[in-house]
Amino acid sequence: MPARNLWQMVLGNAVRSPRHFVFSAIGVVIGIGAFVFFLAGVLKVQGVLYSIFPLEEVEVIAPHTSIAGKNLSQKLTQETVDLIKTRPEVREALPRMTLQFPAVGFGKFEGQDIRFEVGGFTDGIPHSVVADDPKIADRFLDGDAEGKIGPACEPERGKDACPDRAWQYCDKVDRMCHMRVPVIVSPTVLELYNTQVAESHGLPHIGAMEQFIAERGRERMHFTIGLGDTMVAGSNVAVSAKHREVGAILIGISRKAKRVGLTVPLGYVERWNREFAGEDKAKQFSSIIVTLRDKDRLATFTTWLQEEPKLKLEDSLGEQFGTVVFVITIVLLAISFVIVGISAINIAHNFFMQVTERRREIGVLRAVGASQRDVLMIVLGEAAVIGLVSGVLGSAAAFLGSLLVDWASAALVPAFPFKPRSWFDFEWWIFALAVGFSVLFCVVGGWLPARKAAQMEPAAALAQT
Amino acid sequence: MTREPVIQLEQVRKSYGEGAGTTQVLRGVSLEVPRGELIALVGQSGSGKSTLLNIVGGLDKADGGNVRVLGHDYRSTSEPELARLRNKKIGFVFQAFNLLDHLTCLGNVTLPASFAAGARDVVRRGQAALGRVGLGDFAHRKPSELSGGQKQRVAIARALFNEPELLLCDEPTGNLDSATGHEVIEFFRELNEKDGVTLMIVTHERRMSTIARRVITMRDGQIVEGDQAGDEDTGGPA
Ligand SMILES: Nc1ncnc2c1ncn2[C@@H]1O[C@H](COP(=O)(O)OP(=O)(O)O)[C@@H](O)[C@H]1O
Ligand SMILES: [Mg+2]
Repeated sequence: MPARNLWQMVLGNAVRSPRHFVFSAIGVVIGIGAFVFFLAGVLKVQGVLYSIFPLEEVEVIAPHTSIAGKNLSQKLTQETVDLIKTRPEVREALPRMTLQFPAVGFGKFEGQDIRFEVGGFTDGIPHSVVADDPKIADRFLDGDAEGKIGPACEPERGKDACPDRAWQYCDKVDRMCHMRVPVIVSPTVLELYNTQVAESHGLPHIGAMEQFIAERGRERMHFTIGLGDTMVAGSNVAVSAKHREVGAILIGISRKAKRVGLTVPLGYVERWNREFAGEDKAKQFSSIIVTLRDKDRLATFTTWLQEEPKLKLEDSLGEQFGTVVFVITIVLLAISFVIVGISAINIAHNFFMQVTERRREIGVLRAVGASQRDVLMIVLGEAAVIGLVSGVLGSAAAFLGSLLVDWASAALVPAFPFKPRSWFDFEWWIFALAVGFSVLFCVVGGWLPARKAAQMEPAAALAQT
Repeated sequence: MTREPVIQLEQVRKSYGEGAGTTQVLRGVSLEVPRGELIALVGQSGSGKSTLLNIVGGLDKADGGNVRVLGHDYRSTSEPELARLRNKKIGFVFQAFNLLDHLTCLGNVTLPASFAAGARDVVRRGQAALGRVGLGDFAHRKPSELSGGQKQRVAIARALFNEPELLLCDEPTGNLDSATGHEVIEFFRELNEKDGVTLMIVTHERRMSTIARRVITMRDGQIVEGDQAGDEDTGGPA
């Protein structure tokens, strides 16, 4: 039977009994709709997740071990960094050091006084971490270490004490001009600010940091860090140096920054830890950020790490989220497949009834020259058309559903960090996959009825009942 | 080739069912039908006439014996080959017309073309076949709009679409009034005389026996041959 004739006959049969068509298709439409809807949603969540937690980066920490109350934890030092760097799968190993004593940030922002805890919430990282980000690299420098100190100044003169108002501050202790400590924050912090702080405090929403700075001026980004200071009342942490203040300036947003907190050049944290917490703390890293050559080599690296008693992988939040998303993905896709699977059984049932109802018609086709294969192809073709139409309708329904959800999300759900404008990521291949699955399931469902139709003895099919 | 009989049956047997419920429908039927023959197959209801016709047309399979039709030995003929044979060389006309209600008359008549590779002039030939049975103006009507006689003529046009060598008719006038039935019988006679089509017609119609060159009577799955078989045919409706 020529393909064109087959196609014509199949289409003719499909439109001929709309009731049968709808009953067979409805389940598949729902199942495929769910499939597309879930898949596009999950894809979006994954995309957001990976933008927050880069896959090829892992964080190595020292495991906490204590015996009989004695802390035996290993320490991460420069040797540890060098050791990790010897691994072939490692491209880069960069230490982070956390501020180990109380400190407070304060300043004025848009006319409001703000104060926030800094100790423990501040990391130092080497310049090379941000070297590939041109917006930040030029500014993320340790001015004190480079000797950019001076001229002498009078702190009483405030903002006018130093020649470079934007980038310098006058230190109250040595009465010299210093470069402000450059600070970067993570996109998460920006999101938290935009969605949680800005609205409730009537502060401006910050879209692109650079644009904000260009519009409002560098000086808006100034604040002060009070070292050896704390917001926590009654805190009795021993501080080995006198409280002092340094000027800081927020220079930009980076994914490399501490997720919640401030990030400054490593040299500052080393010196401040030495000054306020002792020599020991100045040599101890809090973690080592390891960038792998390839995200697929994580397993190799993890295996090696497990054999190193001194090291372990930080339980990555990203990995945990990733696992949760993966499980949810599997569950949702399983649900879709169950729906489509039940629909396929439903199609099989409908088609069995159809084949019985249409036995005389099938007999006539055989009498005028249809082979068993022709009959098989006609029934399968009808199933495939139902699959095709259901796949397209299901995809369309999912897309419309997504528009509805996005509208509801925009209109009814308050802003929160990383709230996406659309909750769905419709890639073309999702639709291709959906229609493909739909056709496949329908053809599978139609298989047994089609075989029954093909194997019917024409004489029996034509017999008058 | 032309010498060879169109139909050759040797000791054809057929039974339905298994075990105790087995019905022997054909008990060794042998028959030769030469080209250009017009055979009337008569006999009481249940005597196996339809079964025999179906086996000749390849719509049913014999349990035993040899079936040879238009040069094809059915034991060594594959299923697709048999389908092609029905498509090209054998036409069927049934008592119940067996038109497809969702197709137009033309659609029904040209249905065989759907299963033939490279069928040409389909619409023109369909129109010609309809014209031949006097229904040229009915091409785009649906069967439901036609009378019984018209329906049977459409069915005949479908059977003639590929200009078959053999026409198998199972009680073609059984659902028609006698006037219409006679028209159909007359049409078959003409087809046989003018076009040389071989016809095998299961019938209760006494008139058919008069135009038939040969009347074969069946009883209990066996042929009781004889040209005056019409006398034995008690003619109860099937
Ligand atoms: N598909 C079938 N299954 C079982 N019995 C059948 C079938 N077809 C025909 N028969 C039986 O075979 C016998 C002959 O039937 P049939 O060939 O239709 O006779 P006729 O056409 O002479 O009336 C009948 O008894 C009928 O009940
Ligand atoms: Mg009969």
